[in-house]
Amino acid sequence: MRPSDLTLTAAAKAIRDRELSPVELVDSVLSRVAEVEPRLGAYATVTADRARAAAIRAADEIAAGTYRGPLHGIPYAIKDLIDVAGLPTTASSRVRADHVATTDSTVAKRLDAAGTALIGKTHTHEFAYGFITPQTTNAVDPSRIAGGSSGGSAVAVASGTAVFALGTDTGGSIRVPAALNGVVGLKPTYDLVPRDGVVPLSWSLDHVGPITRTVADVALVLPALTGRDEPALSSDITGLRIGIPRNHYFDRVHPDVSAAVHAAITRLESLGARLVDVEIPMTRYVLPINWAVMGPEATAYHEQTLRSTPELYTPEIRLLLEAGQLIPATDYIRALRAQTLMRQEWLRVLETVDIIAAPTTPVTAIPVDQQEVPWPDGVTETVSVTYVRLSSPANITGLPALSVPVGQDSAGLPIGMQLIGRPFAEAVVLSAGHAYELST
Amino acid sequence: MPDLTPAEAARWSAFAGLPLPAERHAEVAAMASRMNDLAAVLRELDLGDTEPYRPGGADATV
Repeated sequence: MRPSDLTLTAAAKAIRDRELSPVELVDSVLSRVAEVEPRLGAYATVTADRARAAAIRAADEIAAGTYRGPLHGIPYAIKDLIDVAGLPTTASSRVRADHVATTDSTVAKRLDAAGTALIGKTHTHEFAYGFITPQTTNAVDPSRIAGGSSGGSAVAVASGTAVFALGTDTGGSIRVPAALNGVVGLKPTYDLVPRDGVVPLSWSLDHVGPITRTVADVALVLPALTGRDEPALSSDITGLRIGIPRNHYFDRVHPDVSAAVHAAITRLESLGARLVDVEIPMTRYVLPINWAVMGPEATAYHEQTLRSTPELYTPEIRLLLEAGQLIPATDYIRALRAQTLMRQEWLRVLETVDIIAAPTTPVTAIPVDQQEVPWPDGVTETVSVTYVRLSSPANITGLPALSVPVGQDSAGLPIGMQLIGRPFAEAVVLSAGHAYELST
Repeated sequence: MPDLTPAEAARWSAFAGLPLPAERHAEVAAMASRMNDLAAVLRELDLGDTEPYRPGGADATV
């Protein structure tokens, strides 16, 4: 096995035990970048020299007896929406082609302090406003989309060009590409991970979180991002009450996805969890709240550049931003009030169960040229609606949501299961995911 | 909910401080109509005294 294929957990142990040098690990990852990046296009910027310098520094420190922790000497990638001092934050947009960040975002600063080696900045759907990430191809099948908006981060982790990565998630942008590329993604509780130095899409819905190869890896990255203690992972889920939605989450879901998620839920039951039917509240209002909050907030953020250089946006994003200013303020405020209500209703459901299990996405990665998703009941959805409708509730409610790989469809494309928990109960969500991955 | 006409999209965009070139009126009107159709669904909710969501509010650490 190449060092670049190691999980974070395994790489950290090998570095700590001095069986693997950070320099060897970074060189292996950079070799992998040279090998696959030309066809995958996960990176907007590769910072090879910076990564090598960080690896040498980490190796020297460790040799001198200063071990900073499990991220010391670990190569990682960061979504090109997040500031790293001295590097451009392009948001994968021509609008910010000349941008250079003058200071680190808090998350970049914290990861630097943990001794990481930054491999580079990964592509996003332009300004995180979409689910395709067209610059990047799927890690499993190049004819399929990477997913988005953190598509570059998910593909980097899945393809061995980063041991872990950071993404952002406004309507599913960490979990969707994680699911579509067969890796793990956590959207933490709202406000748990600082967002300063991160280009916003929608302040009320934005989250920053990790993409990794295993759930155990998430537990190692999260404390560095939050400054809090490591979540106590348990593989014992005896008695854990898992809510199984009887509405919304299994409606208009591909049979392969549904079967894989149900099989994973059955596995969790066999591990001691108790399954409980739950009714998901206010599902009719998921898309309305998502759009009526995100639309005006995105336009508000982009107002100046939309006025000065609208031609620099791609036509798709320019249109969304121009239309966003035509949503009345009263509708925006109503959506924020509905967001409060939906959160309250979800918290009521989570008084009866510990977590809720559901598919992350209704379909696996679609072909890159597919524009719509048709369903057997005659309904045809846009790609955005298909990918957002199962993930957006956790953004609206701010609840922690994890996507875990649970197999492949008949074409060999990865499927993700979503585990949603109570506010700040990341340890519970991660324990359930960890128990599942240990059993496979 | 009635759709925005291209002329209305042009007028309201200018009113909001972002005048649109004429060739964009129809496309923006159509997209804004789709967004407003969705947003209008929320009008059927009885929100009573519910306040807008505020991160860090009373229930934020429940």
